Amino acid sequence: MTKYIIRRLLQAIPLLFIISLVLFVLMRNTGDPLATMGGRRATRPEDRARLARQLGLDQPIYKQYIYWLIGNDWTKIDLNGDGIAETQGTRQGVLRGEFGFSLLSRGKPALDIIMERLPNTLLLMIPAEVIVLLVSLAVGVYSALRQYTWWDHFITAGSFIGYSMPIFFVALLSMYIFSVDFKRWGLPYLPTVGMFDPQIGKTPSQVALHMVLPIFSMTVITAAGYSRFVRSQMLEVISEDYIRTAHAKGLPYRMVITGHALKNAALPLVTIVGLDVPLLLGGAVVTESIFAWPGMGRLFIDHLSRSDTPVVMGILMIISVAVVLSQLLTDIIYGWLDPRIRYN
Amino acid sequence: MKRQWIFSFVVSVMIASLVLAACVPATPAPPATEEVAQPTTEEQIVQPTEAPSVQPTAEPTAVPPAERKVATFAWTQEPDSLNTWYSDMWFADILQQIWSCWAWQYDDQNLPYPHLVTEIPSMENGGVSEDGLTITMHLRDDIVWSDGTPITSADFVFTYDMVMNEANAVSSQYPYDYLESVEAPDDRTIVMTFAEPFAPWESAFWQGLFPKHVLEPVFEADGTIDQADWNLAPTVGCGPFVFSDWESGSFMRFVKSDNYWLGQPNLDEIFFQFVPDDAAQTAALMAGDADLGTFPPLSDVPALEDAGLKIITQNGGYSEGWFFNFRDMASPAIKDLNVRRAIAMAIDREAIIQDLLLGLTKPAETFWDALAAYGYVPPDIVPWTYDPEEAKRVLEEAGWVDTDGDGIREDANGNKLTITHGTTIREIRQDIQAVAQQQLGEVGIDLQITSNDSDIFFGSYADGAPPAVGDLDIMEWSDSTYFPDPDTDYWLCSQIPSDENPYGYNYFGCDEQLDALFQQQLVTIDSAARTKIIQQITKYTHDQVYWYGLYVDADYWIVSEHLTGVKFSGVTPFYNIMEWDMQ
Amino acid sequence: MDTTANQSIASLQEETEAPPLTPRQLIWLRFRRHHMAVFGAITLILLLLYSIGGAFIFPETFSNYTDTKLRLQPPSAEHPFGTDTVGRDILARTIYGGQISLLIGLFAVVVETIVGVVIGAIAGYYGGWIDSLLMRFTEAMFNIPQLFLLLVMAKFFGNKIPTLEMFGRTFSGSVIVITVIIGVTSWMYLARIVRANFLSFKEREFVLAAHTIGTSNMSIIFDHIMPNSIAPIVVSATLGVANAILSEAYISFLGLGVQPPTATWGNMLDKAYNYLESAPWLWIFPGTLILLTVLSINFIGDGLRDALDPRTLME
Repeated sequence: MTKYIIRRLLQAIPLLFIISLVLFVLMRNTGDPLATMGGRRATRPEDRARLARQLGLDQPIYKQYIYWLIGNDWTKIDLNGDGIAETQGTRQGVLRGEFGFSLLSRGKPALDIIMERLPNTLLLMIPAEVIVLLVSLAVGVYSALRQYTWWDHFITAGSFIGYSMPIFFVALLSMYIFSVDFKRWGLPYLPTVGMFDPQIGKTPSQVALHMVLPIFSMTVITAAGYSRFVRSQMLEVISEDYIRTAHAKGLPYRMVITGHALKNAALPLVTIVGLDVPLLLGGAVVTESIFAWPGMGRLFIDHLSRSDTPVVMGILMIISVAVVLSQLLTDIIYGWLDPRIRYN
Repeated sequence: MKRQWIFSFVVSVMIASLVLAACVPATPAPPATEEVAQPTTEEQIVQPTEAPSVQPTAEPTAVPPAERKVATFAWTQEPDSLNTWYSDMWFADILQQIWSCWAWQYDDQNLPYPHLVTEIPSMENGGVSEDGLTITMHLRDDIVWSDGTPITSADFVFTYDMVMNEANAVSSQYPYDYLESVEAPDDRTIVMTFAEPFAPWESAFWQGLFPKHVLEPVFEADGTIDQADWNLAPTVGCGPFVFSDWESGSFMRFVKSDNYWLGQPNLDEIFFQFVPDDAAQTAALMAGDADLGTFPPLSDVPALEDAGLKIITQNGGYSEGWFFNFRDMASPAIKDLNVRRAIAMAIDREAIIQDLLLGLTKPAETFWDALAAYGYVPPDIVPWTYDPEEAKRVLEEAGWVDTDGDGIREDANGNKLTITHGTTIREIRQDIQAVAQQQLGEVGIDLQITSNDSDIFFGSYADGAPPAVGDLDIMEWSDSTYFPDPDTDYWLCSQIPSDENPYGYNYFGCDEQLDALFQQQLVTIDSAARTKIIQQITKYTHDQVYWYGLYVDADYWIVSEHLTGVKFSGVTPFYNIMEWDMQ
Repeated sequence: MDTTANQSIASLQEETEAPPLTPRQLIWLRFRRHHMAVFGAITLILLLLYSIGGAFIFPETFSNYTDTKLRLQPPSAEHPFGTDTVGRDILARTIYGGQISLLIGLFAVVVETIVGVVIGAIAGYYGGWIDSLLMRFTEAMFNIPQLFLLLVMAKFFGNKIPTLEMFGRTFSGSVIVITVIIGVTSWMYLARIVRANFLSFKEREFVLAAHTIGTSNMSIIFDHIMPNSIAPIVVSATLGVANAILSEAYISFLGLGVQPPTATWGNMLDKAYNYLESAPWLWIFPGTLILLTVLSINFIGDGLRDALDPRTLME
């Protein structure tokens, strides 16, 4: 088992390098972070040339990548444009945990910016995942046990609609109904955007209130999809021989379902949830944009549109590492839960 | 079997009900706004147990008498830095008059008045030398930083040194890179020396100051001030208010300063609330949670005015307009002056302003309209009027005739009158493009429209950005001169981008005559002579249709009726923040 | 045994029994039984008629005709879906927008299928280091959330392709860009499935037999193994169209997709966000159309999956 883990981790390393290289090249070629540094006016050529030098953007791309990866404090750089490298570099590079300074908020380390937003995203995603799991299990199992009844049809139809909806449609619709319409009809209504009401402040109840609509929008779609999956798994398991045997042995219905069927049906769900980790961290970009939630997804969009390479690369690399680790974790847990699987 | 049909039926019903549920006819403003009547109680009661208020104001209801006057401003963008040399955001720069200080500031007519200096240097008072190469400033005796340390000329020299130092990645060194030297013969005097006369000096120097006693130690320790704490938390300032705290994503707070040499402001505190978007700003203003907002979505303006808020516009120097490309690679059509004149007459600017901008601004005629008060726009300019028939006539006479009946004109050689137009992806710009395409189509001009994200659009020649490489015949964006100075270097021949000069930003073309005029005005210190040259430039760029104005891109402020004494400047918006008061 | 009795029974059976069904007929029959799938198919055909047929009722110039005096009108007799921010008729724009959205969906899947099948087939068939390399590459692409990848690539390719004319319409070059990048970021799942298929079929006797008689590798891949993988490919492609339409809607919503004036259902929703309350007709109609399209395709895909299920085909 340990050998398996180590092997997987070793395999992951070249993978991460390839990802980082491809993304870095793409990022450096999309748009010019210096273009909008003049504020509302075009950036002057003198300033542009100077800033390119100071921010290390005038180097050829392979050098930029190397400096990003392992820093430049082992070499000298040319800060004053005379062609002679005389100043010691100060960056340590990603491999030593320093993601560079944001090109947008100059002076702020990229990692700090990301870490400020990460908790907000997790705050949204973790409850969402938990709710999705619970809802899809409940709905899927119920639907499976009541196969071909009116309820089952209703739920199936609903699930199809649920996961066919584009997320912004769900979000807009729910905002419209639960905020705008409810307010108009005099019912207690939910807030639309932001993480908390500015006047009241960042209290837990405010944040919880503002979490409702974004989480609702996300869970509707994901739970709809997963409940179908759970349903089909459950149907398969129920028709297995060992379930029939358990019934025949006189085991109470409830025990058969929860003790045997559910456990086996839920296993594949583990794999799928494990694969959701990138979404967990990346934040639902669209949801965060619509609800103006200050999370990582929105951070990504904002900084991508201004070509802030250090922050964007930081987000992408954190997600990639998390994905690799989570896939490994999922496989291990799955192997532990299902005694039929053995890794050598 | 039958149950499967029930499925499909259920699905159809669900979809239908979804659509119907959302199709409630929309009223222009939800009735709830009528309930947001003029509040009879005071809002802004944040800390009722604080120090005694500055003036006892008459409060109609039972509230504690010693209540602080806190003005809440709703900011839709959170500043990235409070150090104006590191930030490109308007939302950060305009805070300067609240906590920092300029050598001279600008009033609501956009005319300068002395602030840190005893008087603004000029040729009359000897502050500016005859040859224009030396400028001498005298500081007031009573100016101090918020911690009590006197402001001296050493702070000015230090600011110059920091901006010019290669270790500091400041956004722009303009205009300090025109200086040969800055000296401080004594604590109260600063002498600036130029290599060549620099006419725009008054509009750009000493707009913000670094406290030497705070930042010099940082510079010596780190080798740069890029990561100084002061940039994000400038606890030492020189304005009527002092920075207090800043919670990222939430708010920023400034409290009144005890050491301001002009006295104490009426307000006790200014609280900046960061709201996630425009709709949230509108909601906050209508609910009375915020007293001031900026750039409301135009569709919200009627509702805001109904709720008793005032919309104040101020000219910040920016106008939205079309820049025409007359470089070699531009299409032959756009290089024909007649075509440009026809275009200028074929666009109904009034309709655009009335319908898309709710009539809240006016057409811009020249690039220097914002400075008309200074006399830079000659009276003999004939504004363009919307006259499609005249446009068609001009095109016909110039030889552009629609020979093949497809609605698009051709010249004698059969080349089609096709013009490319590019801009950024902002909604109003894309809307204008659609309207322009139609209106130009009506006079037989085929307008091809594209749009890009702004950091691609404003990229350099080296990046292959469309305006820079000359792919576009017409480029649209909002820009200004080095306001409040009429200088601009957009049409200098030396700024044309090329392989040798990859960062040049003259995307428009080299007109020798115009180039000479621009270069001349830059070094003409005598204001009467300079005004004459600028007038020539204004008329020439207008009549040659090098720049066609769409509308004045004004600053929009929404102010609650509880704030009194409010005036805005286009250059230094909060110039009279000391006199603001709350009712 | 009484042979005559058997023979008469046999001939009786022959007469009364229906002829055995071909696999194709079997699939069609099973598909038809799946009523949701049929509903989906009918809806999709109606939507196609709407987008293509509607073009004969409203000329394209009408969908681009701006009249700022008529901006943001609610649905009325002349403009059944209302007008947008510059006074263009929304009904006409959903028709032409539908053409583009459906086109992008379809062609993106073509790109995606080609790439996915080729990579999966080569990896599965040749195995060894080729397989390792291709699978690492696939994993790398997999690891990055698709939307992020789409956004970065949409920015990268931006407006590098000029407008073109096709089928009597002018398209902004970004249509091609979006189509290709959606295709290029969605093939990974299909490649995995095809590879798994190939891995399992590679060792079957009929393949070994083909080897021994000297059939070329290409022929084995395309003529022998591939036909057995059709089922998952078809299902994946069908569902891929739904996914492509959604992806286009997402990036257009975020402002980086197809640029105006070419309308797509996605970019009509981009602008509509600011008018949530004041002009809901801006987003309800394009949104519902997307929903209906994606829903129908999902139904069809579900039906196909059941109809093509190899386990039941074998029975």
